[in-house]
Formats: sequence, structure tokens, C-alpha cells
Amino acid sequence: MSISPDQIILFQQGWFTINATIAFTWLLIIILSLGSWLITRRLSSEGTLTRWQNLLEVLISGIKGQIREVSRQEPGPYLPFVGTLFIFIAISNILAIVPGYIPPTSSLSTTAALAICVFVAVPVFGIAQRGILSYLKQYIQPTFFMLPFNLIGEISRTLALAVRLYGNMMSGTIIVAILLTITPIVFPVVMQALGLLTGLIQAYIFAILAMVYIASASKAHQELEKKGER
Amino acid sequence: MIIDWYTVIFQIINFLVLVFLLRYFLYGPIIRAMDERERMIVEREQQAESSIREAAAEAESYRSRSETLRKNEDLTMEKARVAADEEKSKLLNAARKEVEQARKRWEDAFEREKESFIVELRLRIGRQACAVARRCLSDLADADLEEIIRNRFVDRLKALPEGEQQKLASALKKAEYKASVSAAFDFPPAAVKDLATMINKLIDADETKLEVRYINNPELVCGLELAAGGHRVAWNIDHYLADVEEQILKGLEQNGNDTEKEEGAGSD
Repeated sequence: MSISPDQIILFQQGWFTINATIAFTWLLIIILSLGSWLITRRLSSEGTLTRWQNLLEVLISGIKGQIREVSRQEPGPYLPFVGTLFIFIAISNILAIVPGYIPPTSSLSTTAALAICVFVAVPVFGIAQRGILSYLKQYIQPTFFMLPFNLIGEISRTLALAVRLYGNMMSGTIIVAILLTITPIVFPVVMQALGLLTGLIQAYIFAILAMVYIASASKAHQELEKKGER
Repeated sequence: MIIDWYTVIFQIINFLVLVFLLRYFLYGPIIRAMDERERMIVEREQQAESSIREAAAEAESYRSRSETLRKNEDLTMEKARVAADEEKSKLLNAARKEVEQARKRWEDAFEREKESFIVELRLRIGRQACAVARRCLSDLADADLEEIIRNRFVDRLKALPEGEQQKLASALKKAEYKASVSAAFDFPPAAVKDLATMINKLIDADETKLEVRYINNPELVCGLELAAGGHRVAWNIDHYLADVEEQILKGLEQNGNDTEKEEGAGSD
């Protein structure tokens, strides 16, 4: 039983290695990009909509609504990043139902990569919204002595983000594997179904938390702006 | 080691590539389509609103127009009534005038008819009276009416006043002693000669000079007429017939009045 898809090596040439995590991620990228292109090349703005266009519009509207609710800001700038996080994790987890497929999210390397992306995105969006000085100033709030705690908080929440997703995904896979050895009939199917639900919830939690962090980094600026207006 | 940093870097790159691809293939087109639809819906709503406003304005204008029409209706009806009354009275006057003219024509025609009837009646009565008189005289007294008339005419000539006799003489002279005697009955040449002799005696003229010509004139009915140079001496039954005519006309008028009274009573 392999614990991580990182250890499944599909191709190796010197230092260049293609493991299952990377390969399945590429597969996902191809499926998502091709699917999006196929659906969006014939969009209609009036009359009847195709079922796929309708589905995508519902999905995008839902994501935009969630971003708006969490950040209290226009969702435009955050949509590609947060939306891709949700769609990537959700599809990656849902496809776990396909036999032979190992979700890339069950690899700590993938979840760590996503968490690092969020870790970087928080200051990027924060600086873009507030300016570099204003952003950096929040680390010495309320006093300079709080700087280490703020930094630890920043890093620990990134770590928590990565480990939470990884733990959930990996546990799902491992539970199914263990149950298969104990009760090979019926019960693993139930667990698989439960795994689909867990996967969607995790995608939602990851994307929402990422948005919360980004929003908290850019919110102070808006509060200052409001004060200035008053 | 659980975290493979090589894979982590690969996955970061993969994720950023996916962000870029989805931004290009998914979010961009879908959001554009949604915005476009939203814009079109707003546009349609605005159009619908403006259409509703236009329709309301149009309805209001029609309402006010119909109100004005309703108000004008009474005025127009009044005008039409006045015009109709005028036209009616005009037509009635024209009809009255026409009836009056027709009545006048009819009355004229009736009058002419009446006159010609009277003339005809007068002639017939005269002739009939003469015929009766002639027959009575012939049967009862063995006398000839024409002869009596001729004798009576001669007596009348003789009894003419002096002035009249002179007028006759000068008229005969003016007509170169040419005279004509008209009668409705036959006048035998001997009688004509006797008459010429008697006139000669009356005017003391040369017998050979005077020339009397007989002219048959049925309109004279009964009687004689001597004409010379525009002077006339007549002896006939005209004034008797005039009396008869007067009597007949009176009778006719009386009858007409009685009929009118009866008709008036009947219509009441």
C-alpha cells in the first residue's frame, strides 16, 4: 500500500522524474482546460443556454457570491485564484471515484504547494490593495513586539491549511484501502460516497479559508479608507 | 520524507498554469457572457419601460381625444339639427312654392277649360234655342224665324238714332259703299237685295253704288251683323246668352262652394 502518490514513479530521466502526483495533475489540467474551451467557445448571451453553459454559470456565480460574502468586496480580482483553488481541489477529489485514479490532493506535496500559493497570494493581494508599507505595518500591530507572533501565525495557518487538506484526502484513501481488506463488499462503496462529500467540503473549506486570509490582509486598508472618508 | 520538494515546485507551477488557463478559457468568456446577458436584460427592461411609458402616454392622448370628441359631439349634433331644420324649411318652402305654382297652373288650365266650355255651351244653347224657336214659329205660327230676324234687323236700322245713321252713312261712304252682312243662317240673294234697298233708302245713296255681300258666320248663332268701313251694326242674341252664361256661372260657383263645405265637414 502506497501512502503517497509521490512515491509512484512513472518516468525518470536523470534528475527529471514524473510521479503519479504530477501526472494526474497534468491530466486534470488537460480535462479542465479542454472542457472549459469546449463549453465556452459557443456561449450565447440571449435565448436558450446549453446545459453545460448553465452549469458553469451557476458554478461561477456561486463562487463569486461566496467571495463577495467573505471579502465584502467585488470578486473580480480574486475569482481566478480562489475559483481555481476550489475547482482544482473539487474535481481532483471527485475523480477519486474512478478506479486507478489517485487524487493529487492526497499528496502532502500538492497540498503544501497549494498552501504555499495561498501563503504567497496573501501578501501579493494585500500589497496590491494597500501598498507595501501599509501591508508590512500590520505585522507590528498593535506593537512591535507582536512581530514574531504575527509571523508565526502567518506560517502556522499556511501549514494548517496544507495539513488539513492532506489529512482529509489521505485519510479517505487510506480508510477505503483498510476497509477493502476487512469488508470488501458494500461498505467501501458507502465510504467512497462519503469521500465524495468530504472532498467537496474540503475544497470549499480550502477556498473559503484562502479567501478569508486574503480578505483579512486587504481589509484593514478598506477600513482606513472608510475612516478617511468620514 | 512526506513532502517531496521537487513535486511541490512542480505542483506550484502546475497550479499557476491552471490558474492562467482557466482564466483564459473559463472565467473570462463566462463572465463576459453573463455581463452581456445582464446588459441585454437591463436594456430590454429599459426598452419595455419606455414602451410602457409611451403606451401610457398614447392611451392618455387617446383618452383626452375621445373626451374632446365626446364634448364636441353635443355641439356637432346641435349644429346638425339647426342645419337640418334650415334645410327642412327650405325644402318645405320650395315644395310649397312648387305646389302653389302647380295649383296656379291647374287653376289657369281650369279657367281656360271653363271659358272654352262656357263658350261652347253658349254656342250650343244659342243654336238650340234658335232651332227650338224656329221650329215653334214654323209649327205654331207658320212663320220663318230668319225672315222675322231680317225684318226685325231692318226695323232696328230704321229706328237707329240720327247720329248713328249718319255714322253708318259716312262709314259706307268711306268704304266706297261696300258693306258686308254676316249671319249664321242662309241669307237669300233676294233678302240681301232687299236689305241693300232699305239701307239706300236710309242713307239716301245711289242704289247702284251700294254693294252688300253676304258672309256666313256660324258664331253669330242667331242674329245679323252689318259691317262697313270699320263701323258695325249688330242685332243678335248675345246679351240673352250673356244672361244665361251668368246664370250658369252662378250655379257653378254655388255648387263649388257647397262641395268645399261638405269636404271641410268631412275632414273635421
